[in-house]
Amino acid sequence: MTSCGNPAAEIDALMTRRPKFDHSKECVKCKGRVGNIVIRHVVYCRECFLPLVNTKFRKILQPSIKEKLDGPRQKSLKASGNLTMGLSGGLGSTVLMDLVAKNYFRSSGPEDNKGGKDHPRKLNEKVWKAGYVCYVEVSDAFPGMRDSTADIRAIVESYNVFEFVPLKLEDAFDPSWWDRVDLLLCDIPSSNFSTPLDRLRAYLSAMPTQTALLSSVQALIRLLLLYSARSTQSSHLLLGTSLTSLSINLISGIAQGGGFAVREEVDEEWHTGTEMTIRVIRPLRDLTMKECTAWAWWNHLTVVGETPIPSAKQGIGSLTKDFIVGLETDYPSTVSTIARTCSKLAPKDKATGVCALCQRPTQFRAQQWKSQISILSYSNSKESTDRISLAPSLCYACHTSLTGRNSRSVNRSVKSHDDITSDVPIPLPVWVQSHASMQSNSRGSGTSLIDDASTDIMKVRKMNREEMKEQIGSYLLDDDL
Amino acid sequence: MASSVSLKIEFGGGLELLFANQSSHKLTLPKFVPISNSTSLSSLSSSNLKDTDTESATSDDAAIPDGLKRVDVTYLLHHLRDHLLKERPELFMDKETVRPGILVLINDTDWELEGEGEYELKSGDELVFISTLHGG
Repeated sequence: MTSCGNPAAEIDALMTRRPKFDHSKECVKCKGRVGNIVIRHVVYCRECFLPLVNTKFRKILQPSIKEKLDGPRQKSLKASGNLTMGLSGGLGSTVLMDLVAKNYFRSSGPEDNKGGKDHPRKLNEKVWKAGYVCYVEVSDAFPGMRDSTADIRAIVESYNVFEFVPLKLEDAFDPSWWDRVDLLLCDIPSSNFSTPLDRLRAYLSAMPTQTALLSSVQALIRLLLLYSARSTQSSHLLLGTSLTSLSINLISGIAQGGGFAVREEVDEEWHTGTEMTIRVIRPLRDLTMKECTAWAWWNHLTVVGETPIPSAKQGIGSLTKDFIVGLETDYPSTVSTIARTCSKLAPKDKATGVCALCQRPTQFRAQQWKSQISILSYSNSKESTDRISLAPSLCYACHTSLTGRNSRSVNRSVKSHDDITSDVPIPLPVWVQSHASMQSNSRGSGTSLIDDASTDIMKVRKMNREEMKEQIGSYLLDDDL
Repeated sequence: MASSVSLKIEFGGGLELLFANQSSHKLTLPKFVPISNSTSLSSLSSSNLKDTDTESATSDDAAIPDGLKRVDVTYLLHHLRDHLLKERPELFMDKETVRPGILVLINDTDWELEGEGEYELKSGDELVFISTLHGG
């Protein structure tokens, strides 16, 4: 080995490849069998790995099932409502459904009579009275995508213990779906778009950036799941977010201005407006994508897979995903560090309300702060004073998403109907419309995505020479000097 | 002594879509392959020739002919990319290895335990490539 060679040329000769595992190839748990898989530098055999995944899953889920324990020893586990799971057809949610089915919805078998009444197997039975699996199909919104509802239905029904609830992304714009989920329908302003799908497409096409488009789709899916969970009387909504996906969501969420709701990304309680609160839990948040993959492969699970949304590659979410997945390959422990670091974060101020669009907590005076750091001109901003403003009801992240730098489409709705008749207001999801119509009942009529009276507005206009001279006059040197 | 290795290859987690939607493949590769991992027909035939020449006179531990190496996983990756992959090679390989997010099992064992791309393939080996990125 040379000590002062050219490291660039001799890098292969000087550096030996660092093994991806510590110590030996033996399983660290049983210390007898040869390992089958490396998880964050630790080697496990297949026989020890599978129960370990189960344990990690239950360790997250179990404490959140019941709000208060009976006493020092919890005799039975009973949730206050039903269970709803979100299934995307992807790896995480498929593994989640399998783990839930095996742990909490087992079909009765001959072994059931064995053991006493306090046997752990019996304690976990019928924790939830019923289990629902919701799938949101997005294919209609984007050309070239395949409808996977039938494939997903077949997988869900193969367990024979869950009820399948198929949804479509356009349901978010469908008053009849709003009726079905048992909510009081407020007056929704009439729309020029005939079908829910038209309204969905108009809404998505109004998004100023690809990132905003994808985060809007995610927000719609999340809300569809939450409202469906409420309609099925569920106390828990489980999502198949793995540690890797969680880290991606955290980084990408913060990058998009969602730092105030960073805690909700991990663990969330959604107040439904009724007595019931729905806990949104991600029981796979301690399992990496690699662990989920190995579980799915060794349990012969069919993963239908999510068809990627076309034109999604350049969004912040997609770029973050590429970065984190690459990081996981080279430095697997760093991915869990992201999640652990984010779990220590807490917002400085208390939440002042709930965002009308994503229903996550909103920050106190977020819009005012935003307007203070923006270049503003309030001149000639008297238009549309009769219109209600949605902006104060939005969280910072949603507001930022809707007002991108190239907010080509959002600006359309700012203009009044009277000014430009060809402009049509952008349709909003039914829950936002009901929120808006409640406001309009008290203040007037009409809805706009962003109101320009109370929030930031940037105007570009040509100044005449006198005006320009006036602005910079104090800096000009006198001609006589 | 055989001059080639027979392998069983499986694709899962959506990766099979890149390979004509066929999840299981049987493959025969020469025992010695170019160090450059070139999978062109001329390289293959020359390596086979040299392989056959040496095989008849030597044992399994015979000296490896110049410019060749024992067939390993890295060569297999190049072969799969060049001859079996139907579309979008960037979703399968990144530089000289598999794209991040693809789990490789060699005989049901994580390839990280087997030396990853440097693992020398033997006849009868079963390799599985599973994409972890097929949705979430």
